Amino acid sequence: MTAPTLPRVVAAEWTKLAGLRGPALVAVATVLVSGLLTFAAANASSVDPGFDPLDSLTAGLSLAQVGPLVLGVLVGTGEFSSGTFRATFTAVPRRLPVLAGQTVVTAAAALATAVLAVGAAVAGLLPAARSRGIPLELTTHGTPQVLAGMVAFLVGLALFGLAVGALLRRPTPAFVAVLAVALVLPIALMLATDVAAGPTTAPAGDPAALQSAVNTLVTLLPSGAGALLATPPGAGGVEGAPDLGPWGGGLVLAAWVLVPLAAAAARLRGRDLT
Amino acid sequence: MIEVTALTKRYGRTTAVDGLTFTAPPGTVTGFLGPNGAGKSTTMRLIVGLERPTSGTATVDGRPYAELAAPLHDVGVMLDARSAHPGRTAFRHLLGLARTHGIPRSRVDEVIATTGLETVAHRRAGTFSLGMGQRLGIAGALLGDPGTLILDEPVNGLDPDGVLWVRGLVRELAAEGRTVLLSSHLMHELALCADRVVVIGRGRLLADATVAELEDGGSLEDAYLQLTAGAVQYRGGAR
Amino acid sequence: MGPTTVPGNASTTPRAPGRTGVTLGRVVAAEWTKLAGLRSTWWVVVGTVGTTAALAWVLGLFARSGDGRTAASLVVAGHLLAQLGPLTLGALVGAGEHSAGTATTTYTAVPRRLPVLVAQGVVTTVVTLAAAVAAVAASALVTAGTRATAGTALDLADGETVRVLAGFVLDLTGVALLGLGLGALLRRPAAALVSATLLLVVVDHLLATNPGQAADTARALLPGAGTRLLLDDAGLAALDAASLGPHLGAWGGGLVLGAWVAGVLAVAAYRLRRGDVT
Repeated sequence: MTAPTLPRVVAAEWTKLAGLRGPALVAVATVLVSGLLTFAAANASSVDPGFDPLDSLTAGLSLAQVGPLVLGVLVGTGEFSSGTFRATFTAVPRRLPVLAGQTVVTAAAALATAVLAVGAAVAGLLPAARSRGIPLELTTHGTPQVLAGMVAFLVGLALFGLAVGALLRRPTPAFVAVLAVALVLPIALMLATDVAAGPTTAPAGDPAALQSAVNTLVTLLPSGAGALLATPPGAGGVEGAPDLGPWGGGLVLAAWVLVPLAAAAARLRGRDLT
Repeated sequence: MIEVTALTKRYGRTTAVDGLTFTAPPGTVTGFLGPNGAGKSTTMRLIVGLERPTSGTATVDGRPYAELAAPLHDVGVMLDARSAHPGRTAFRHLLGLARTHGIPRSRVDEVIATTGLETVAHRRAGTFSLGMGQRLGIAGALLGDPGTLILDEPVNGLDPDGVLWVRGLVRELAAEGRTVLLSSHLMHELALCADRVVVIGRGRLLADATVAELEDGGSLEDAYLQLTAGAVQYRGGAR
Repeated sequence: MGPTTVPGNASTTPRAPGRTGVTLGRVVAAEWTKLAGLRSTWWVVVGTVGTTAALAWVLGLFARSGDGRTAASLVVAGHLLAQLGPLTLGALVGAGEHSAGTATTTYTAVPRRLPVLVAQGVVTTVVTLAAAVAAVAASALVTAGTRATAGTALDLADGETVRVLAGFVLDLTGVALLGLGLGALLRRPAAALVSATLLLVVVDHLLATNPGQAADTARALLPGAGTRLLLDDAGLAALDAASLGPHLGAWGGGLVLGAWVAGVLAVAAYRLRRGDVT
């Protein structure tokens, strides 16, 4: 008998993912964006007197994080938006292995993409470092932890996208939710702080309270928490926000993945598939 | 009347329709036959201007479809049963279509009644079965009371009652002097309702004749299988 | 069934007199019917109004007198997040036909195709205008208490106030039309949403955190320049003082957004007109 075991489901999900052009394009774009942006940022600041190429290492993350997010949502919603789910879930009537398979496959694809993207970022630093004669020290001062944190950040965002996509099933609401929470809300909150606090005056009291409230909130959002992963140890948190450190940031990001994923599993298990 | 002249459509290196020429005259039901992938749906999409021909022409009543002033009144089209937004009710779908031509709401109710959708008219199309989606597609085609009808597999998914109804409907429409072009894979069904048959394979014309001429004492199915023997691209193997 | 006519070999199929054809007005009516028939439309409107009001209310809790900001800028403070609503609406209208498979029926009914895009522009504009005005009203309502405490009044006779509030409505409408254009061009709502979010928010933020002449100039030329419409005078002055790029002013920023909308819609119209509908 050939029952749908988990490894088979994972293999099937991998076949489906690899059969799509979208995810492959997203992965290539992520690597390119990461490399090019880091290169541009390092080049722009290489004229500064106290230039350290490693300061530019994470410059590409704010744009490169979009790729894994999109990848995750595409995997999470793809079955439902295309109608494939009827075939899939008649083949795997226990359903949950499919979600597990998608999680494994998304994590693997995001991990490969993230490793390449971080590699591209390091490569992007080389020209600027060489022009100033500064050697790239990748093994000291917590840099290995930053590199690993960048990879974990990108993988975590892909899984966040997958979880929200699997929960909401329809691509448009899933994309709106993910884009709003991970990308737009942090920026909106930071800009709104400027508006409410005013550009010129910063009297003691309420504006500082606002600043600290907003910074705390931003730190607890997926991209803020994930960014802590890629912060060198001992760098301290954002002003006014609790300093969670890399591990704390990682835990917050993990919660952003696990809570919607559990909800998606409950919905998948308990509800009709239509 | 539908006239297709030297129609060709290529996608890159693939030729879907290859120099196809045929006519669907008024007052008759023209059956449109061919193996899977023969180019039937592409031809129909080309006739109604959804895709642009690489070369050649397709006209309805002597004019390219896109030049018709009131296309819904000239041509009723049903190409894909799943062409209603899943989140919209059947009534809304038809009303939206009707509004493009200023067709009154009463006519929407009329075609809903004609196609037997009264009880589900206010349900979202995403909840429809294949047969109900099919009826909704036919309702959309009838909306403008058109002189020409183009129906792609209209009986696909219909219950026997529905099949009988479509057969009567197309016979009646043709008897009123309308042009009906209808594709189907059901030979017995076509033998019952079509006057003429156009057979294509690999995008080319294989036969254009009356049903009686093709049958020639045998069955339409035998004639079809003989005609398309060299043009079938996808064939099931022995087990 | 329809009128009975004599079957024959005439080259045209008989057609009854008095039939009505496609007009732009009718296409607009049709698009309105379709838009109003979708639940997502109303979710977007509710979301836009709710987001604008909720953010303004929360930020209003921290506002105090003498902090140098106008009441109008507090009312529109939720703009960056609220614009996702109109953006989604536009992207759904522009790409919905193609992603839901209704394109077949729509473009056989209106084979000239462009009237559909025009009508989609009209209904998107109308819904967004209404939603944005409602959002401003709701936001003004929930911040009324704050304004009373802080002693800043929302004076509708004041030119700057009117410009900021109208600017919010105009910018949201421009963003909706940008979404429509990208949706019609890319034919997938998700692709339109992601690319528009990149253009409007993410790239802008990236450039803002790496200032310089090139970055500031690029920022001024991105569609996000439309947000200048709703910056108050002090905000505009602060922006110009910090920027090495062109100083556009409020209306100049609006024009940049308008140019993006026109450009993207033109390319979408070209694809619609010349390409295949599949």
